[in-house]
Amino acid sequence: MSGRLGARRDEQVLDRRDAVLLMGNPNVGKSVIFTELTGVHAISSNYTGTTVSYLEGRFTAGGKERVLIDVPGTYSMTPTSEAETVAVRFVESGAKAVICVIDASNLERNLCLALELRHCNIPIVYALNLLDVAGRRGTSINDRLLAAELGAPVVPTVAVKKQGLDELMRKLDAVLAGENPGRGFCGSCDACPYGQPRERGAIWAEAKAIARRVSGKSAARPGFADKLGENMMKPFPGIPIALLAMALLTGVVVGGGEALRSLLLEPLVDGVIVPFFRFIFTRFVPEGMFLNLLVGEYGIFVISFEWIVALILPYVFLFYVSFSFLEDSGYLPRISVLFDSVMRKLGVQGGSLIYALMGLGCAVPAIIGTRASSSRKERLVISAAVCFAVPCISQTGALISLMSGYAWWMMPAMLLLAVFVFAAAALAAGKLVKGTVAPLILEVPNLLMPEPKAYAKKLAARMKNFLLEAEAPMLLAVAAASLLKETGALAAIATAAQPLVSRWLGLPPEAVTGLILGIIRREMSVAPLVALELTHLQAFVGGAVALLYLPCLSVFGVLVKEFKLKAAAAISVSTIALALLAGGLINQLGRLFG
Amino acid sequence: MTGHETLSLYEAVGKGALRVASVPDIKLLENLGFRVGTRIAVQTRYRLGGPVLLRVEDSYTVAVGKDVARQIGVTEETVAGEPALREAFA
Repeated sequence: MSGRLGARRDEQVLDRRDAVLLMGNPNVGKSVIFTELTGVHAISSNYTGTTVSYLEGRFTAGGKERVLIDVPGTYSMTPTSEAETVAVRFVESGAKAVICVIDASNLERNLCLALELRHCNIPIVYALNLLDVAGRRGTSINDRLLAAELGAPVVPTVAVKKQGLDELMRKLDAVLAGENPGRGFCGSCDACPYGQPRERGAIWAEAKAIARRVSGKSAARPGFADKLGENMMKPFPGIPIALLAMALLTGVVVGGGEALRSLLLEPLVDGVIVPFFRFIFTRFVPEGMFLNLLVGEYGIFVISFEWIVALILPYVFLFYVSFSFLEDSGYLPRISVLFDSVMRKLGVQGGSLIYALMGLGCAVPAIIGTRASSSRKERLVISAAVCFAVPCISQTGALISLMSGYAWWMMPAMLLLAVFVFAAAALAAGKLVKGTVAPLILEVPNLLMPEPKAYAKKLAARMKNFLLEAEAPMLLAVAAASLLKETGALAAIATAAQPLVSRWLGLPPEAVTGLILGIIRREMSVAPLVALELTHLQAFVGGAVALLYLPCLSVFGVLVKEFKLKAAAAISVSTIALALLAGGLINQLGRLFG
Repeated sequence: MTGHETLSLYEAVGKGALRVASVPDIKLLENLGFRVGTRIAVQTRYRLGGPVLLRVEDSYTVAVGKDVARQIGVTEETVAGEPALREAFA
């Protein structure tokens, strides 16, 4: 799937030989520099699809408007992940210049990439970034000496404080104008002043030698963030902090989402948008089924706004507000490390926990996100576990509104059930899927306060991506729901399913609406229950069935796209079977003992 | 301990400064700077089969899962005169 997509994107890149590439190791402040250089507007593109989808923006360099591409972070030109492969392809497709960002607090390893890039036949300007962090660590660097060693301009920067960026642009302009401030750039390979590309060992040795020549050491003065970052890695207080962070994330998203929805978006949709379309269509379309399909109770122009804008968007938005903050602050890798031992018992590695957390927002980006992990087995195991037991944020909201009307113990009990099924699903999938899981090898970045502009830009790109990736299947679902309702199929299915719903699950017959609509949208399996008068047991059974039920059509679509129909169907059928089985068992046992 | 024995990184908790003696052939490890001779120190080994947290070349932090940590061989760093110095200040 990704191969063909990749090839097509490559051609697009080849068309833009005028672009400037922004490159560097992961976590060196590239995105901040990108935001400062390009301003507000950026297009997010998914090359072959990675969590680190790259951004491109416009800026004026060398007296001409050009594209600046924020290339995914890479450690070297021998890639180890899809994201790094993308980075290498960018370089190979050619560009007018490269801005290579070097982490001053981690000079030696960063110099390896810097040295490798010299052989790529593209003029380079080096930004020596994170000088403040290096200073706190007691490292000082002679940038002039480094420029002489690298044979290209080196500009000291502290991007988060906007220091050195004007100078960086001046140097870039000079390089684009063909000026040759250093020893010269790598030209054709024969004439290259740096000789032929060498093997990695020699590059490492040279990086080490250069780092030693240009840097000096003094006593470290760790700041608050450094100390906090270190403490977050210790089992205590690291684990309590992690639990607190997750509780806080849930609070912000559920509470804030509820507020956004009821105060802003629902009045907007119900009071302005939907009446507007009703008004337009009733004037031009004659009454009947077609009009109902458009603007009836389940009309496409009604529920697409009600569901997508009012019900889903506020939660998704707030989830990404919180999640991107955790991500940009460098916190997520710390969680991966702390919980690696637990995830290992489930047959995956700590890094997978990040996808499960993403799944708390929506399974669609979570499953797409697993592309960054290195083995198919791990992708499938974690995707399956997310589909089985991780409710999306809109469903969590609906579940909370349902349970809070009954008893306090229901939500914790539901959480226990979810954790149990998550573990069981991961273990079962691990047994069924062949292959091995790559072990945890992860650099833990510095903890830092996200830079507001870069953060906002990433958030905007995320929301746009989510809408593009999820909107098409959602519209399809909306149309299907509309058709079911208008053709009377919904009522017919409700009658047919009554034995299952009433006798086995012990729910009132109206609950079948949830089971059908739940196929389309996850929270729709809960929503119809909220309005019903239920016993405690019924509410819990209904909630449990909804939680474990098939994770909506959009997710099914993504599963098919990522893992082919067979795996997608297997996951979907078993989630439905498990939901009905578990719900029924809870009901029967509850009756027996209650 | 003479400092010349090779032990697995996973077993080398509380040993202070270490040098990598052997690395499994994993690209990501190489890219993260794990080569023969790299200086590392174990900061934490997480319980229940968790990873080890390492400070590499005294400039960056890397977590390595148990299975990989077992395959990395290390020797204790010895600097001439250092043990004597340590004793002198003890």
